[in-house]
Amino acid sequence: MSAAFARIREPLLWFAGLLLLWELVVRVFALPTFVLPAPSNFLMRVVNEYPRFVTHGLITTRLIIYGFVAGAVPGLILAYLIANSRRCEMLLYPLVVFIQGLPKITLAPMMLVWFGYADFPKILLTALITFFPVLVDSVAGFKAADRRLFYLSRSMNASWFQTFRYIELPAAAPAIFSGFKTTIVIAVTVVIVVEWMNSNNGLGYIVLRAMDNKDTPLIFATLVVASAIGVALSYAMASLEKLLLPWRRK
Amino acid sequence: MTTGASIVARGITKVYGSDSSAYHALGPIDLDIKPGEFVSLIGPSGCGKSTTLLLASGLEPVTQGSIEVDGKPLTKPITEVGIVFQDHLLLDFRTAMKNVMLQQEIRGLDKSVIQARAESLFERLNLKGAENRYPWQLSGGMRQRVSIARALVHDPSMLLMDEPFGALDAISRTQIRHDLEMLWLDTRKTVLFITHSIDEAVGLSDRVLVMSKGPGTIVEEIKIDLPRPRPAHLGEYPEFTKYANRIYSIFEKLGVYKFK
Ligand SMILES: Nc1ncnc2c1ncn2[C@@H]1O[C@H](COP(=O)(O)OP(=O)(O)OP(=O)(O)O)[C@@H](O)[C@H]1O
Ligand SMILES: [Mg+2]
Repeated sequence: MSAAFARIREPLLWFAGLLLLWELVVRVFALPTFVLPAPSNFLMRVVNEYPRFVTHGLITTRLIIYGFVAGAVPGLILAYLIANSRRCEMLLYPLVVFIQGLPKITLAPMMLVWFGYADFPKILLTALITFFPVLVDSVAGFKAADRRLFYLSRSMNASWFQTFRYIELPAAAPAIFSGFKTTIVIAVTVVIVVEWMNSNNGLGYIVLRAMDNKDTPLIFATLVVASAIGVALSYAMASLEKLLLPWRRK
Repeated sequence: MTTGASIVARGITKVYGSDSSAYHALGPIDLDIKPGEFVSLIGPSGCGKSTTLLLASGLEPVTQGSIEVDGKPLTKPITEVGIVFQDHLLLDFRTAMKNVMLQQEIRGLDKSVIQARAESLFERLNLKGAENRYPWQLSGGMRQRVSIARALVHDPSMLLMDEPFGALDAISRTQIRHDLEMLWLDTRKTVLFITHSIDEAVGLSDRVLVMSKGPGTIVEEIKIDLPRPRPAHLGEYPEFTKYANRIYSIFEKLGVYKFK
Protein backbone atom coordinates (compact mmCIF):
# COMPACT_ATOMS: atom_id res chain seq x y z
CA MET A 1 0.00 0.00 0.00
CA SER A 2 2.49 2.61 1.18
CA ALA A 3 5.18 1.50 -1.29
CA ALA A 4 2.81 1.66 -4.24
CA PHE A 5 1.61 5.05 -3.05
CA ALA A 6 5.18 6.33 -2.65
CA ARG A 7 5.84 5.31 -6.22
CA ILE A 8 3.05 7.49 -7.58
CA ARG A 9 3.25 10.28 -5.05
CA GLU A 10 6.48 11.71 -6.35
CA PRO A 11 5.43 11.84 -10.02
CA LEU A 12 2.17 13.39 -8.87
CA LEU A 13 3.99 16.16 -7.03
CA TRP A 14 6.16 16.80 -10.03
CA PHE A 15 3.10 16.88 -12.20
CA ALA A 16 1.36 19.41 -9.95
CA GLY A 17 4.45 21.65 -9.93
CA LEU A 18 4.66 21.49 -13.69
CA LEU A 19 1.00 22.46 -14.03
CA LEU A 20 1.54 25.46 -11.77
CA LEU A 21 4.49 26.63 -13.86
CA TRP A 22 2.44 26.07 -16.97
CA GLU A 23 -0.43 28.17 -15.65
CA LEU A 24 1.99 31.00 -14.84
CA VAL A 25 3.65 30.91 -18.25
CA VAL A 26 0.31 31.01 -20.06
CA ARG A 27 -0.92 33.94 -17.97
CA VAL A 28 2.29 35.97 -17.92
CA PHE A 29 2.82 35.71 -21.65
CA ALA A 30 -0.90 35.83 -22.42
CA LEU A 31 -0.61 32.83 -24.79
CA PRO A 32 -3.64 32.19 -27.05
CA THR A 33 -5.70 29.22 -25.88
CA PHE A 34 -5.43 27.59 -29.28
CA VAL A 35 -1.63 27.33 -28.92
CA LEU A 36 -1.46 26.41 -25.27
CA PRO A 37 -4.44 26.39 -22.91
CA ALA A 38 -3.92 27.05 -19.23
CA PRO A 39 -4.33 24.05 -16.92
CA SER A 40 -7.18 25.88 -15.14
CA ASN A 41 -8.93 25.98 -18.49
CA PHE A 42 -8.67 22.32 -19.49
CA LEU A 43 -9.02 20.98 -15.96
CA MET A 44 -12.37 22.78 -15.79
CA ARG A 45 -13.31 21.09 -19.04
CA VAL A 46 -12.67 17.73 -17.39
CA VAL A 47 -14.90 18.71 -14.50
CA ASN A 48 -17.66 20.26 -16.59
CA GLU A 49 -17.78 17.56 -19.22
CA TYR A 50 -17.19 14.62 -16.95
CA PRO A 51 -20.13 12.48 -18.17
CA ARG A 52 -18.57 12.41 -21.60
CA PHE A 53 -15.16 11.52 -20.20
CA VAL A 54 -16.64 8.79 -18.05
CA THR A 55 -18.45 7.24 -21.02
CA HIS A 56 -15.52 7.38 -23.40
CA GLY A 57 -12.94 6.74 -20.68
CA LEU A 58 -14.71 3.50 -19.78
CA ILE A 59 -14.76 2.45 -23.42
CA THR A 60 -11.01 3.05 -23.62
CA THR A 61 -10.30 1.34 -20.30
CA ARG A 62 -12.26 -1.70 -21.38
CA LEU A 63 -10.18 -1.92 -24.58
CA ILE A 64 -6.96 -1.54 -22.61
CA ILE A 65 -7.90 -4.38 -20.30
CA TYR A 66 -9.14 -6.66 -23.09
CA GLY A 67 -6.08 -5.91 -25.22
CA PHE A 68 -3.73 -6.43 -22.32
CA VAL A 69 -5.29 -9.73 -21.30
CA ALA A 70 -5.44 -10.89 -24.93
CA GLY A 71 -1.72 -10.16 -25.25
CA ALA A 72 -0.51 -11.22 -21.81
CA VAL A 73 -2.19 -14.64 -21.66
CA PRO A 74 -0.66 -15.99 -24.90
CA GLY A 75 2.58 -14.23 -23.94
CA LEU A 76 2.67 -16.17 -20.67
CA ILE A 77 1.83 -19.47 -22.32
CA LEU A 78 4.46 -19.07 -25.01
CA ALA A 79 7.00 -17.94 -22.40
CA TYR A 80 6.37 -21.14 -20.47
CA LEU A 81 6.91 -23.22 -23.61
CA ILE A 82 10.05 -21.36 -24.62
CA ALA A 83 11.52 -21.60 -21.14
CA ASN A 84 10.77 -25.31 -20.84
CA SER A 85 11.56 -26.62 -24.29
CA ARG A 86 14.82 -26.23 -26.13
CA ARG A 87 13.02 -26.87 -29.39
CA CYS A 88 10.43 -24.15 -28.82
CA GLU A 89 13.17 -21.78 -27.86
CA MET A 90 15.26 -22.45 -30.97
CA LEU A 91 12.23 -22.34 -33.20
CA LEU A 92 10.43 -19.30 -31.80
CA TYR A 93 12.75 -17.06 -29.89
CA PRO A 94 14.70 -15.56 -32.82
CA LEU A 95 11.38 -14.70 -34.48
CA VAL A 96 10.12 -13.17 -31.25
CA VAL A 97 13.21 -11.00 -30.92
CA PHE A 98 12.86 -9.90 -34.53
CA ILE A 99 9.16 -9.02 -34.32
CA GLN A 100 9.68 -7.30 -30.98
CA GLY A 101 11.95 -4.82 -32.75
CA LEU A 102 9.33 -3.87 -35.33
CA PRO A 103 7.21 -0.74 -34.77
CA LYS A 104 3.92 -2.61 -34.72
CA ILE A 105 1.92 0.54 -34.03
CA THR A 106 2.34 1.43 -37.71
CA LEU A 107 -0.09 -1.38 -38.40
CA ALA A 108 -2.91 0.73 -36.92
CA PRO A 109 -4.06 2.12 -40.30
CA MET A 110 -3.95 -1.37 -41.76
CA MET A 111 -6.21 -2.58 -38.97
CA LEU A 112 -8.75 -0.06 -40.25
CA VAL A 113 -8.39 -1.42 -43.76
CA TRP A 114 -8.67 -5.02 -42.67
CA PHE A 115 -11.25 -4.89 -39.92
CA GLY A 116 -12.96 -1.50 -40.07
CA TYR A 117 -14.32 0.45 -37.10
CA ALA A 118 -14.79 -2.23 -34.51
CA ASP A 119 -13.35 -3.26 -31.18
CA PHE A 120 -11.65 -6.28 -32.60
CA PRO A 121 -8.83 -4.54 -34.56
CA LYS A 122 -8.11 -2.30 -31.57
CA ILE A 123 -7.90 -5.19 -29.15
CA LEU A 124 -5.83 -7.15 -31.64
CA LEU A 125 -3.23 -4.43 -32.08
CA THR A 126 -3.03 -3.75 -28.34
CA ALA A 127 -2.64 -7.48 -27.74
CA LEU A 128 0.07 -7.70 -30.37
CA ILE A 129 2.04 -4.92 -28.74
CA THR A 130 1.62 -6.06 -25.13
CA PHE A 131 2.37 -9.66 -26.03
CA PHE A 132 6.11 -9.17 -26.57
CA PRO A 133 7.27 -7.39 -23.42
CA VAL A 134 5.18 -9.79 -21.32
CA LEU A 135 6.70 -12.73 -23.16
CA VAL A 136 10.29 -11.58 -22.76
CA ASP A 137 10.00 -10.83 -19.04
CA SER A 138 8.11 -14.06 -18.37
CA VAL A 139 10.70 -16.18 -20.19
CA ALA A 140 13.34 -14.61 -17.97
CA GLY A 141 11.18 -15.36 -14.93
CA PHE A 142 10.56 -19.01 -15.82
CA LYS A 143 14.23 -19.52 -16.61
CA ALA A 144 15.47 -17.93 -13.41
CA ALA A 145 14.00 -20.69 -11.24
CA ASP A 146 16.54 -23.11 -9.77
CA ARG A 147 16.60 -26.20 -11.98
CA ARG A 148 16.85 -28.40 -8.91
CA LEU A 149 13.30 -27.40 -7.99
CA PHE A 150 12.26 -29.92 -10.61
CA TYR A 151 14.13 -32.60 -8.68
CA LEU A 152 12.17 -31.59 -5.62
CA SER A 153 8.81 -31.77 -7.38
CA ARG A 154 9.65 -35.09 -9.02
CA SER A 155 10.66 -36.60 -5.70
CA MET A 156 7.20 -35.59 -4.48
CA ASN A 157 5.58 -37.29 -7.45
CA ALA A 158 4.12 -33.97 -8.57
CA SER A 159 2.08 -33.88 -11.75
CA TRP A 160 2.99 -31.49 -14.53
CA PHE A 161 0.27 -29.13 -13.39
CA GLN A 162 1.29 -29.28 -9.73
CA THR A 163 4.87 -28.45 -10.65
CA PHE A 164 3.60 -25.50 -12.61
CA ARG A 165 1.13 -24.30 -10.01
CA TYR A 166 3.15 -24.84 -6.84
CA ILE A 167 6.68 -24.19 -8.05
CA GLU A 168 7.27 -22.74 -11.50
CA LEU A 169 4.56 -20.10 -11.59
CA PRO A 170 5.20 -18.59 -8.15
CA ALA A 171 8.95 -18.67 -8.77
CA ALA A 172 8.49 -16.74 -12.00
CA ALA A 173 5.75 -14.45 -10.68
CA PRO A 174 7.91 -11.48 -9.62
CA ALA A 175 9.46 -11.20 -13.10
CA ILE A 176 6.06 -11.75 -14.71
CA PHE A 177 4.55 -8.94 -12.68
CA SER A 178 7.38 -6.60 -13.47
CA GLY A 179 6.56 -7.24 -17.13
CA PHE A 180 2.85 -6.64 -16.48
CA LYS A 181 3.51 -3.34 -14.77
CA THR A 182 5.52 -1.85 -17.61
CA THR A 183 3.22 -3.30 -20.23
CA ILE A 184 -0.11 -2.05 -18.88
CA VAL A 185 1.15 1.52 -19.29
CA ILE A 186 2.20 0.82 -22.86
CA ALA A 187 -1.30 -0.55 -23.48
CA VAL A 188 -2.89 2.79 -22.48
CA THR A 189 -0.93 4.65 -25.14
CA VAL A 190 -1.55 2.01 -27.76
CA VAL A 191 -5.33 2.03 -27.31
CA ILE A 192 -5.54 5.81 -27.50
CA VAL A 193 -3.39 5.97 -30.62
CA VAL A 194 -5.46 3.25 -32.24
CA GLU A 195 -8.72 4.98 -31.34
CA TRP A 196 -7.33 8.19 -32.66
CA MET A 197 -6.74 6.67 -36.07
CA ASN A 198 -9.62 4.33 -36.15
CA SER A 199 -12.67 4.88 -34.04
CA ASN A 200 -15.96 6.53 -33.40
CA ASN A 201 -15.74 6.40 -29.64
CA GLY A 202 -13.21 6.27 -26.81
CA LEU A 203 -10.72 8.89 -25.65
CA GLY A 204 -8.72 8.74 -28.87
CA TYR A 205 -11.87 9.62 -30.75
CA ILE A 206 -12.42 12.68 -28.54
CA VAL A 207 -8.90 13.82 -29.40
CA LEU A 208 -9.68 13.39 -33.07
CA ARG A 209 -12.88 15.44 -32.78
CA ALA A 210 -11.10 18.12 -30.77
CA MET A 211 -8.50 18.45 -33.52
CA ASP A 212 -11.21 18.84 -36.14
CA ASN A 213 -12.79 21.61 -34.07
CA LYS A 214 -9.42 23.19 -33.18
CA ASP A 215 -10.50 22.69 -29.55
CA THR A 216 -7.07 22.56 -27.92
CA PRO A 217 -8.29 22.55 -24.29
CA LEU A 218 -10.32 19.41 -25.03
CA ILE A 219 -7.15 17.64 -26.24
CA PHE A 220 -5.44 18.47 -22.99
CA ALA A 221 -8.49 17.54 -20.95
CA THR A 222 -8.49 14.14 -22.62
CA LEU A 223 -4.80 13.79 -21.87
CA VAL A 224 -5.57 14.34 -18.19
CA VAL A 225 -8.22 11.64 -18.20
CA ALA A 226 -5.94 9.24 -20.09
CA SER A 227 -3.13 9.83 -17.58
CA ALA A 228 -5.54 9.18 -14.73
CA ILE A 229 -6.49 5.87 -16.33
CA GLY A 230 -2.82 4.97 -16.75
CA VAL A 231 -2.03 5.76 -13.13
CA ALA A 232 -5.11 3.89 -11.90
CA LEU A 233 -4.21 0.78 -13.91
CA SER A 234 -0.58 0.79 -12.75
CA TYR A 235 -1.77 1.17 -9.21
CA ALA A 236 -4.25 -1.66 -9.66
CA MET A 237 -1.49 -3.86 -11.05
CA ALA A 238 0.83 -3.05 -8.17
CA SER A 239 -1.96 -3.83 -5.70
CA LEU A 240 -2.69 -7.11 -7.44
CA GLU A 241 0.99 -7.99 -7.14
CA LYS A 242 0.91 -7.20 -3.43
CA LEU A 243 -2.16 -9.34 -3.00
CA LEU A 244 -0.87 -12.32 -4.95
CA LEU A 245 2.80 -12.19 -3.98
CA PRO A 246 2.77 -11.35 -0.29
CA TRP A 247 6.15 -12.99 0.25
CA ARG A 248 8.16 -10.35 -1.57
CA ARG A 249 10.58 -8.68 0.78
CA LYS A 250 10.49 -4.96 1.10
CA MET B 1 5.75 -45.60 10.89
CA THR B 2 7.44 -46.63 7.66
CA THR B 3 10.57 -48.69 8.09
CA GLY B 4 13.74 -48.15 6.13
CA ALA B 5 14.32 -49.22 2.56
CA SER B 6 17.37 -50.98 1.21
CA ILE B 7 19.52 -49.58 -1.58
CA VAL B 8 21.71 -51.83 -3.70
CA ALA B 9 23.75 -50.41 -6.55
CA ARG B 10 26.04 -52.33 -8.86
CA GLY B 11 28.69 -50.73 -11.04
CA ILE B 12 26.90 -47.42 -11.40
CA THR B 13 28.59 -44.61 -13.31
CA LYS B 14 27.46 -41.19 -14.42
CA VAL B 15 28.58 -39.34 -17.50
CA TYR B 16 27.02 -35.90 -17.86
CA GLY B 17 26.47 -34.54 -21.38
CA SER B 18 27.39 -36.36 -24.54
CA ASP B 19 30.08 -36.43 -27.23
CA SER B 20 32.51 -33.55 -26.90
CA SER B 21 30.89 -32.22 -23.72
CA ALA B 22 30.78 -35.65 -22.06
CA TYR B 23 32.07 -35.54 -18.50
CA HIS B 24 32.68 -38.65 -16.45
CA ALA B 25 31.52 -37.53 -13.01
CA LEU B 26 31.21 -40.73 -11.02
CA GLY B 27 32.08 -44.35 -10.63
CA PRO B 28 31.87 -47.12 -11.15
CA ILE B 29 30.68 -47.65 -7.57
CA ASP B 30 28.70 -50.27 -5.66
CA LEU B 31 26.38 -49.54 -2.75
CA ASP B 32 24.84 -51.94 -0.24
CA ILE B 33 22.74 -50.02 2.20
CA LYS B 34 20.65 -52.06 4.59
CA PRO B 35 17.18 -51.08 5.79
CA GLY B 36 17.45 -48.59 8.62
CA GLU B 37 21.16 -48.06 8.19
CA PHE B 38 22.85 -44.67 8.51
CA VAL B 39 25.54 -44.42 5.85
CA SER B 40 27.74 -41.42 5.14
CA LEU B 41 29.49 -40.59 1.94
CA ILE B 42 32.56 -38.45 2.38
CA GLY B 43 34.95 -37.20 -0.26
CA PRO B 44 36.59 -34.16 -1.82
CA SER B 45 34.60 -31.51 -3.64
CA GLY B 46 33.52 -32.52 -7.13
CA CYS B 47 34.06 -36.25 -6.58
CA GLY B 48 30.44 -37.05 -7.36
CA LYS B 49 28.67 -37.16 -3.99
CA SER B 50 25.65 -35.13 -5.07
CA THR B 51 25.60 -37.16 -8.26
CA THR B 52 25.44 -40.38 -6.23
CA LEU B 53 22.44 -39.01 -4.36
CA LEU B 54 20.68 -38.08 -7.58
CA LEU B 55 21.30 -41.54 -9.01
CA ALA B 56 20.18 -43.31 -5.83
CA SER B 57 16.93 -41.33 -5.84
CA GLY B 58 16.30 -42.03 -9.51
CA LEU B 59 16.23 -38.29 -10.24
CA GLU B 60 19.10 -38.72 -12.70
CA PRO B 61 19.46 -41.87 -14.80
CA VAL B 62 22.61 -43.93 -14.37
CA THR B 63 24.91 -44.12 -17.38
CA GLN B 64 25.93 -47.68 -16.55
CA GLY B 65 25.05 -50.20 -13.88
CA SER B 66 21.85 -50.80 -11.98
CA ILE B 67 20.16 -49.80 -8.75
CA GLU B 68 17.58 -51.65 -6.71
CA VAL B 69 15.54 -50.08 -3.95
CA ASP B 70 13.82 -52.58 -1.67
CA GLY B 71 14.69 -55.24 -4.24
CA LYS B 72 12.93 -53.44 -7.08
CA PRO B 73 14.89 -52.06 -10.05
CA LEU B 74 14.94 -48.28 -10.06
CA THR B 75 13.51 -46.93 -13.31
CA LYS B 76 11.91 -43.65 -12.28
CA PRO B 77 12.34 -41.20 -9.38
CA ILE B 78 11.46 -42.79 -6.06
CA THR B 79 8.80 -40.92 -4.18
CA GLU B 80 9.02 -42.80 -0.88
CA VAL B 81 11.90 -40.53 -0.05
CA GLY B 82 12.81 -37.31 1.69
CA ILE B 83 15.63 -35.31 0.19
CA VAL B 84 17.59 -32.51 1.78
CA PHE B 85 19.28 -30.80 -1.13
CA GLN B 86 22.61 -29.03 -0.94
CA ASP B 87 21.82 -25.48 0.28
CA HIS B 88 18.30 -26.30 1.46
CA LEU B 89 16.31 -25.42 -1.70
CA LEU B 90 13.32 -23.96 0.11
CA LEU B 91 10.67 -22.12 -1.88
CA ASP B 92 11.09 -18.46 -1.03
CA PHE B 93 7.42 -17.74 -1.70
CA ARG B 94 6.21 -20.08 1.04
CA THR B 95 6.48 -19.71 4.77
CA ALA B 96 8.49 -22.27 6.72
CA MET B 97 5.40 -24.28 7.61
CA LYS B 98 4.01 -24.06 4.09
CA ASN B 99 7.33 -25.24 2.68
CA VAL B 100 7.00 -28.32 4.85
CA MET B 101 3.30 -28.73 4.05
CA LEU B 102 4.12 -28.72 0.34
CA GLN B 103 4.65 -32.47 0.79
CA GLN B 104 1.06 -32.83 1.95
CA GLU B 105 -0.38 -30.60 -0.77
CA ILE B 106 1.45 -32.21 -3.66
CA ARG B 107 1.17 -35.77 -2.44
CA GLY B 108 -2.46 -35.27 -1.47
CA LEU B 109 -1.93 -36.63 2.04
CA ASP B 110 -4.27 -36.20 4.97
CA LYS B 111 -3.94 -32.62 6.08
CA SER B 112 -4.51 -32.99 9.81
CA VAL B 113 -2.13 -35.96 10.13
CA ILE B 114 0.70 -34.20 8.29
CA GLN B 115 0.04 -30.91 10.04
CA ALA B 116 0.39 -32.62 13.41
CA ARG B 117 3.60 -34.28 12.30
CA ALA B 118 4.96 -31.00 10.95
CA GLU B 119 4.22 -29.33 14.25
CA SER B 120 6.02 -32.00 16.21
CA LEU B 121 8.99 -31.78 13.84
CA PHE B 122 9.12 -28.02 14.34
CA GLU B 123 9.15 -28.68 18.04
CA ARG B 124 11.94 -31.24 17.82
CA LEU B 125 14.03 -29.23 15.40
CA ASN B 126 13.79 -26.10 17.50
CA LEU B 127 11.76 -24.23 14.94
CA LYS B 128 8.93 -23.09 17.20
CA GLY B 129 7.91 -19.55 16.25
CA ALA B 130 9.32 -19.83 12.73
CA GLU B 131 6.17 -21.34 11.21
CA ASN B 132 4.86 -18.25 9.51
CA ARG B 133 8.14 -16.72 8.47
CA TYR B 134 9.51 -16.77 4.96
CA PRO B 135 12.89 -18.39 4.23
CA TRP B 136 14.58 -15.02 3.83
CA GLN B 137 13.45 -14.15 7.35
CA LEU B 138 15.20 -17.22 8.79
CA SER B 139 18.83 -17.79 9.70
CA GLY B 140 20.88 -20.20 7.60
CA GLY B 141 20.61 -22.83 10.31
CA MET B 142 16.84 -22.50 10.56
CA ARG B 143 16.49 -22.87 6.81
CA GLN B 144 18.44 -26.12 6.95
CA ARG B 145 16.19 -27.33 9.76
CA VAL B 146 13.07 -26.47 7.80
CA SER B 147 14.41 -28.37 4.85
CA ILE B 148 15.06 -31.37 7.11
CA ALA B 149 11.49 -31.14 8.39
CA ARG B 150 10.25 -31.06 4.80
CA ALA B 151 12.23 -34.21 4.06
CA LEU B 152 10.73 -36.06 7.04
CA VAL B 153 7.15 -34.89 7.36
CA HIS B 154 5.63 -37.46 5.00
CA ASP B 155 7.38 -40.30 6.85
CA PRO B 156 9.43 -41.66 3.93
CA SER B 157 11.36 -44.90 4.12
CA MET B 158 14.54 -43.25 3.01
CA LEU B 159 16.31 -39.99 3.73
CA LEU B 160 18.88 -38.59 1.34
CA MET B 161 20.82 -35.64 2.71
CA ASP B 162 23.32 -33.61 0.73
CA GLU B 163 25.59 -31.64 3.05
CA PRO B 164 22.59 -30.64 5.12
CA PHE B 165 24.70 -28.85 7.73
CA GLY B 166 27.13 -27.31 5.27
CA ALA B 167 26.09 -23.73 5.91
CA LEU B 168 25.97 -23.96 9.69
CA ASP B 169 28.28 -22.69 12.40
CA ALA B 170 30.02 -25.25 14.61
CA ILE B 171 27.57 -24.83 17.51
CA SER B 172 24.40 -25.30 15.47
CA ARG B 173 26.06 -28.14 13.64
CA THR B 174 26.67 -30.08 16.82
CA GLN B 175 23.11 -29.49 18.02
CA ILE B 176 21.46 -30.39 14.75
CA ARG B 177 23.65 -33.48 14.43
CA HIS B 178 22.28 -34.64 17.76
CA ASP B 179 18.70 -33.73 16.81
CA LEU B 180 19.00 -35.71 13.61
CA GLU B 181 20.48 -38.69 15.41
CA MET B 182 17.62 -38.70 17.92
CA LEU B 183 15.04 -38.47 15.15
CA TRP B 184 16.75 -41.29 13.32
CA LEU B 185 16.92 -43.46 16.45
CA ASP B 186 13.15 -43.04 16.78
CA THR B 187 12.27 -43.75 13.19
CA ARG B 188 15.11 -45.88 11.77
CA LYS B 189 14.83 -44.65 8.26
CA THR B 190 17.56 -45.56 5.85
CA VAL B 191 19.84 -42.53 5.60
CA LEU B 192 22.39 -41.68 2.94
CA PHE B 193 24.22 -38.69 4.32
CA ILE B 194 26.66 -36.67 2.26
CA THR B 195 29.24 -34.55 3.99
CA HIS B 196 32.64 -32.93 3.80
CA SER B 197 33.05 -33.19 7.51
CA ILE B 198 34.90 -36.09 9.09
CA ASP B 199 33.37 -35.24 12.49
CA GLU B 200 29.87 -35.41 11.09
CA ALA B 201 30.50 -38.63 9.20
CA VAL B 202 31.94 -40.41 12.21
CA GLY B 203 29.55 -38.72 14.63
CA LEU B 204 26.41 -39.90 12.86
CA SER B 205 27.06 -43.02 10.85
CA ASP B 206 26.93 -46.76 11.13
CA ARG B 207 29.23 -46.83 8.15
CA VAL B 208 31.33 -44.26 6.31
CA LEU B 209 32.13 -44.64 2.63
CA VAL B 210 35.22 -42.70 1.61
CA MET B 211 35.41 -41.52 -1.97
CA SER B 212 38.37 -40.67 -4.16
CA LYS B 213 38.71 -37.53 -6.27
CA GLY B 214 36.43 -37.31 -9.34
CA PRO B 215 35.36 -39.39 -11.06
CA GLY B 216 34.85 -40.73 -7.56
CA THR B 217 35.00 -44.35 -6.56
CA ILE B 218 34.57 -45.76 -3.08
CA VAL B 219 38.06 -46.44 -1.81
CA GLU B 220 37.28 -47.54 1.71
CA GLU B 221 34.42 -48.53 3.92
CA ILE B 222 34.70 -47.84 7.64
CA LYS B 223 32.29 -49.36 10.12
CA ILE B 224 31.75 -47.00 13.05
CA ASP B 225 31.30 -48.87 16.29
CA LEU B 226 30.37 -46.18 18.79
CA PRO B 227 27.47 -46.22 21.25
CA ARG B 228 24.40 -44.09 20.54
CA PRO B 229 23.30 -41.43 21.10
CA ARG B 230 26.70 -39.98 20.57
CA PRO B 231 27.87 -37.05 22.69
CA ALA B 232 28.36 -33.42 21.68
CA HIS B 233 32.09 -33.71 22.17
CA LEU B 234 33.08 -36.73 20.15
CA GLY B 235 36.68 -36.53 21.34
CA GLU B 236 35.39 -38.23 24.50
CA TYR B 237 35.80 -41.50 22.67
CA PRO B 238 39.35 -42.57 21.87
CA GLU B 239 37.85 -44.66 19.05
CA PHE B 240 36.48 -41.49 17.50
CA THR B 241 40.00 -40.14 17.07
CA LYS B 242 41.05 -43.47 15.63
CA TYR B 243 38.28 -43.37 13.00
CA ALA B 244 38.90 -39.73 12.18
CA ASN B 245 42.62 -40.33 11.78
CA ARG B 246 41.94 -43.18 9.45
CA ILE B 247 39.87 -40.99 7.14
CA TYR B 248 42.51 -38.25 7.24
CA SER B 249 45.19 -40.71 6.28
CA ILE B 250 43.10 -42.03 3.37
CA PHE B 251 42.65 -38.49 2.11
CA GLU B 252 46.38 -37.90 2.46
CA LYS B 253 47.17 -41.05 0.53
CA LEU B 254 44.72 -39.98 -2.20
CA GLY B 255 46.40 -36.59 -2.44
CA VAL B 256 43.24 -34.75 -1.35
CA TYR B 257 45.35 -32.54 0.93
CA LYS B 258 48.33 -30.66 -0.39
CA PHE B 259 50.16 -29.68 2.82
CA LYS B 260 53.80 -28.65 2.60
N1 LIG C 1 24.38 -31.38 -14.52
C1 LIG C 1 25.69 -31.51 -14.70
N2 LIG C 1 26.24 -31.40 -15.93
C2 LIG C 1 27.56 -31.53 -16.11
N3 LIG C 1 28.44 -31.78 -15.15
C3 LIG C 1 27.96 -31.90 -13.90
C4 LIG C 1 26.58 -31.76 -13.61
N4 LIG C 1 26.40 -31.93 -12.27
C5 LIG C 1 27.64 -32.14 -11.78
N5 LIG C 1 28.58 -32.14 -12.73
C6 LIG C 1 30.01 -32.37 -12.56
O1 LIG C 1 30.17 -33.65 -12.01
C7 LIG C 1 31.17 -33.63 -11.01
C8 LIG C 1 30.61 -34.17 -9.72
O2 LIG C 1 29.61 -33.28 -9.25
P1 LIG C 1 28.88 -33.45 -7.86
O3 LIG C 1 27.95 -32.31 -7.73
O4 LIG C 1 28.32 -34.81 -7.78
O5 LIG C 1 30.10 -33.29 -6.86
P2 LIG C 1 30.08 -33.28 -5.26
O6 LIG C 1 30.95 -34.39 -4.81
O7 LIG C 1 28.71 -33.22 -4.75
O8 LIG C 1 30.84 -31.91 -4.97
P3 LIG C 1 30.60 -30.89 -3.74
O9 LIG C 1 31.17 -31.54 -2.54
O10 LIG C 1 31.41 -29.68 -4.13
O11 LIG C 1 29.15 -30.63 -3.64
C9 LIG C 1 31.67 -32.21 -10.90
O12 LIG C 1 32.89 -32.11 -11.58
C10 LIG C 1 30.62 -31.40 -11.57
O13 LIG C 1 31.20 -30.32 -12.24
MG1 LIG D 1 27.58 -31.77 -3.89
